Amino acid sequence: MSAVAFRGIAKRYGALAALLPLDLEIASGEFVSFLGPSGSGKSTLLNICAGFTEPTAGSVFVAGRDVTDAPARRRNIGMVFQNYALFPHLNVFENIAYGLRVRRIAQAELERRVEEALRTVRLEGFGRRSTRSLSGGQQQRVALARAMVIEPDILLMDEPLGALDKQLRKEVQIEIRRMHVARPRTTLYVTHDQEEALVMSDRIALLRGGRLVQLGTARELYSRPVDAFVARFLGESNLIAGRVAALGDGGAALGADGLAAPIEGFAAQGLRVGEAACALIRPEHVRLVSGGQPARIVERIFLGEIAALRLALPGGVELWSRLFSSDAPAGDEVEIGWDRERVSILPETS
Amino acid sequence: MTPAGAWTKALAALLAAAIVIPVLAVAPLAFSEQSFLQLPPKDWSLRWWSAFFADPSWPRALLTSLEVAALSCLLAVTAGTAAALGLPRLGRRMRTLAAGLFLGPLVAPVIVLAVGLYALARSAGLVGSTLGLVLAHTMLALPYVVLNVGVSVAALDPRLAQAASGLGASPWRAFRTVILPAIVPGMLGGGIFAFVTSFDEVVLAVFLAGPNVKTLPVRIWEDVRVEYTPVVAVAATIMIILAIIGSAMARLAARRRA
Repeated sequence: MSAVAFRGIAKRYGALAALLPLDLEIASGEFVSFLGPSGSGKSTLLNICAGFTEPTAGSVFVAGRDVTDAPARRRNIGMVFQNYALFPHLNVFENIAYGLRVRRIAQAELERRVEEALRTVRLEGFGRRSTRSLSGGQQQRVALARAMVIEPDILLMDEPLGALDKQLRKEVQIEIRRMHVARPRTTLYVTHDQEEALVMSDRIALLRGGRLVQLGTARELYSRPVDAFVARFLGESNLIAGRVAALGDGGAALGADGLAAPIEGFAAQGLRVGEAACALIRPEHVRLVSGGQPARIVERIFLGEIAALRLALPGGVELWSRLFSSDAPAGDEVEIGWDRERVSILPETS
Repeated sequence: MTPAGAWTKALAALLAAAIVIPVLAVAPLAFSEQSFLQLPPKDWSLRWWSAFFADPSWPRALLTSLEVAALSCLLAVTAGTAAALGLPRLGRRMRTLAAGLFLGPLVAPVIVLAVGLYALARSAGLVGSTLGLVLAHTMLALPYVVLNVGVSVAALDPRLAQAASGLGASPWRAFRTVILPAIVPGMLGGGIFAFVTSFDEVVLAVFLAGPNVKTLPVRIWEDVRVEYTPVVAVAATIMIILAIIGSAMARLAARRRA
């Protein structure tokens, strides 16, 4: 039985389709990120799960129970908001205790659980503090504790790091990951930050225009994206636009102006011979190979241990490469190559 | 900002004096020994204060005023808070229309309201009753509550109510424990405005008062027309004191909100 299941869930606002019919199952203890640009429907999906937004069609199941028509308060969810949404007139302790008081937990038990939650988010001794006296990162940790202390069936987080600066983002990100590893809870996490999704998730659901484009582990999305949109969204990518020259046996070849020979690679779904497509070669897979294709180094960027090289093929096609401290200066002629298995031929959009 | 020059300060002082002097002028009159109003009084005494409390119609008018003000304040705060909470949930057109209606009594000429209300109250048999006065003053006070609570509601993060219901709180519990504490300063501020509005209202009260139900301003008005003794000044002084207390409380409420 899955912890959360969306069956044919859709949402329209008048003529605007915020979410097209979508099916998604999340296993118990799994950390799934909803990743996508703004307007992709990721927050709508989360709010439908929380019970804050009513779906136009479809059903939501939590722990096997159909909760589509249940109000938020009957879903046993823990919600973390981007702006923390801490109760300003209550101190840290009372904020965390709120859900326990609603559940009429006895005072001694309540105090024990709030103290434990404070320890989990490393805020021991902060109970009597006003929430306003805390930093953004600390406030979000209070919000986390408040959501977790009620032992929710699912933990929902809506861009929880969105309001934090870069340093704090990292800190709270690691904190959330650490807590998840220590005590896996089914978690749905909305973000538009691909790095966040890569670091934290067991699986990533990538959305675009209200549609679930791809669902898989970070590795799957990174190495076998279903289309160029996914490839661009996750990590750095070289995408060479051209037309499908040949197709068959799980592979494809892409021909483009300025290429001496077609690029061969793994064929994604939905390709047709003669139609437009892209070849994806990740920068770390572009290597210096003696006897490979001739290329010229156009630009060289120092990145510490590694260097980023912008390479131009004789026909004008440009590629980025990431190499461990190569000393080759800009202007040098080099020979490059890549493994055929590392290349994907992708449609622009699936 | 450049500091104010001497002329600016003098002008400001003059303006302040113009506003304050007529109000404060009443106070010495209340402690006069004479039977007619003259400034400054020749001799001082408390005789008009005893006169005020000796004639039962004066304290009764004061009590009526306080009663009407308290009841209309209570009604206005209840209805106005409900309105302020409900307004943002309406569609844009309905909201504009409803907000205009709620704020209407603020801009409508009071004398027009008085004539209309008088006709209505007569057909409902409410002229000369406390209820009639309370309802009329509630209408006048409503805009202040809607405006004050509206400010608090606008500043309220809608996510707070969602957070509460996500944690299992019923709508009533979420309202009581999360929304109410956030809007109480607005309710307090609006309530004080409502109280003061009713307490010194005279036009509607003149129309709707009866022989047994007279507010203090109505009683003053009647007295001024026939006798004009310093008892009027005593009544006015009592009103000033209460008004000062009221506005001080309003300031305190505003500070708590900030």
